[in-house]
Amino acid sequence: MSLAARYLLQNKTRLALSLLGVALALMLILLLDGLVRGMQRQITVYLANTPGSVVATQVGVRNLAADNSLLPPGTEDDIQKIPGVARAIPVLSQSVFFELHDRKIFAYLIGYDPAKGGGPWRLAQGREPRQGREVVVDQTLARLHGIKVGQTVEVGGYRFPVVGLSAGTNSWMTTLVFVRKVELERYLLIPGLTSFVLVEPQPGVSPQILKERINQLSGVTAWLKPELMAADLRIYEGFFQPLRLMRGIAFLVGVLVVGLVIYTATVERQREYGVLKAIGAGNARMYGLVLSQALVMAFLGALLAVLLAYLVAWLIMVLRPQFLVVLEPSAILLALLSGLGMALLSAIAPVWVVARLAPAEVFRR
Amino acid sequence: MKAQKTAAILRVEDLTKRYGSGTAEVAAVKGVSLEVAPGEVVLIMGPSGSGKTTLLSMLGALLRPSEGSIQLNGTVLTALSERDLPRFRLREFGFIFQDFNLLSALSALENVVLVAEMAGVPRKEARLRATEILKELRLDKRLQALPEQLSGGEKQRVAIARALINNPSLILADEPTANLDSSTGHEVSRLLRHIAKEQGKSVLIVSHDTRIQDIADRVLWLEDGEFKEARTLAIDPVCGMSVERTKSPTATWQGQEYFFCSKGCRSEFLLEPHTFIQGEA
Repeated sequence: MSLAARYLLQNKTRLALSLLGVALALMLILLLDGLVRGMQRQITVYLANTPGSVVATQVGVRNLAADNSLLPPGTEDDIQKIPGVARAIPVLSQSVFFELHDRKIFAYLIGYDPAKGGGPWRLAQGREPRQGREVVVDQTLARLHGIKVGQTVEVGGYRFPVVGLSAGTNSWMTTLVFVRKVELERYLLIPGLTSFVLVEPQPGVSPQILKERINQLSGVTAWLKPELMAADLRIYEGFFQPLRLMRGIAFLVGVLVVGLVIYTATVERQREYGVLKAIGAGNARMYGLVLSQALVMAFLGALLAVLLAYLVAWLIMVLRPQFLVVLEPSAILLALLSGLGMALLSAIAPVWVVARLAPAEVFRR
Repeated sequence: MKAQKTAAILRVEDLTKRYGSGTAEVAAVKGVSLEVAPGEVVLIMGPSGSGKTTLLSMLGALLRPSEGSIQLNGTVLTALSERDLPRFRLREFGFIFQDFNLLSALSALENVVLVAEMAGVPRKEARLRATEILKELRLDKRLQALPEQLSGGEKQRVAIARALINNPSLILADEPTANLDSSTGHEVSRLLRHIAKEQGKSVLIVSHDTRIQDIADRVLWLEDGEFKEARTLAIDPVCGMSVERTKSPTATWQGQEYFFCSKGCRSEFLLEPHTFIQGEA
């Protein structure tokens, strides 16, 4: 076992507490990152899971998350006639408030044609709407509010019978509710209007070419789906800033924990380090001794952090299902890289202590 | 840099160390010259503040002199770069300290192995060599013991093993018996002489311990940064310090003249002289 490992293991309580400190800081980084990723995924969940690679909106619309888009009747047919279009799927959307147990629940009504697509991509229970005001609500919303298939939900005095529960359509700030497009037109008193059209190219036709062709239509702006998703995410960028700031603070806390531990241990062992230098250890060896302690601590802390992060993320999603925490395998890489950064930064002060140690001091008492 | 061949393994010429500058300048060591032959045991004594530690640090290539040169085995230390010095220390010097200075996290064996590994010896060979030396020093049953589990004498023997593992030319010992009881100190002293005589290594000891004079081939007295004749020295019967006869307070008791490091010791002696004379006996 190396001297660095021996030094770390010499005080096991200190090592355990330090590892916990590092792991908690790194876990916080992973969770905050997972929350940001989860929010981003929730914001773009509809576009990411519906057919088509091009979206047509009203001209001048900057995104779908905050701007209202309305296309005149017949736009869907005009798009369908463009060469290279396999399928044009009209969707009408509207933000509404559901009234559940005297509470208002913010929801995003998606009006779609079940024959053409654009509805729920995964049904956990029940079926898609076929007639009247039938709706499909998200299963998490249903669970949180005790909604069951066969019951009705109320929006603006209208009652909508629930015929199905969708999965993966809930987010921390809103929920998707699917209804037939014609019914939503009737409800909003805008017959024949469409918010946007999902466009699927024929095989071999590039989405970019199709986008340019659709842009030739008057009053229409075409987007590649990733462009529109990025535009939607930009609207919420302000939400993510505090989380990113907290992630940065967690990183600094980790640096301070590792740094303080290694610095304290280095100061305590100044005499031994002096002895090593006197005997003949070069500066490179001494720096390696200090740095490897920081690296081992950060690496072990990172592994512990990954385990803790998965556990806490699971707990969050069980207790608060509206939050999605996305921990991908890259989270391990993030933890290791953050740990590496912590180790390198935290070793600066201890290395400075070792560098200025005069070996002749070992003869002084 | 190789210098001329010499019978002396260590050759020191006009070594001076000054600290500070201008009116604040202090010379801790002044123009010291010294030669040590292979297998010779040299003891340097002197009062506190005489420059012993500074001299030892310079001889061990831990401190650069202001003037003068040091040659070890023909290599001029003062000409070596800072980068080369650690490697030179590792191979050519064995250090023994008053406080033993073993690494607390390592066992006795590992403390010795580490130094060999630092010099590039493969681990397996380093362990074999270290075990052999520790066995020779009667520590074969204490190989796995941590420093905190060792007695003072055992710690110093481990330190001696560590000093010997890379087969150095010169052993530098700083107060090697100061933290040991009388018999253990005596044992360590004899061990150092044994190493010098049997293995041909030069041993340079800095100490206040007058008992080490018995094993030294030569005793040098350092005072105010300069060597003085050791034969003019006497032992203060009260505190045990070596003192210069010509400059010390004296007292005569039962026809015998005694020398003291200070008036305080002299006064203490005169109160109950028999106590100190008996004690000395």
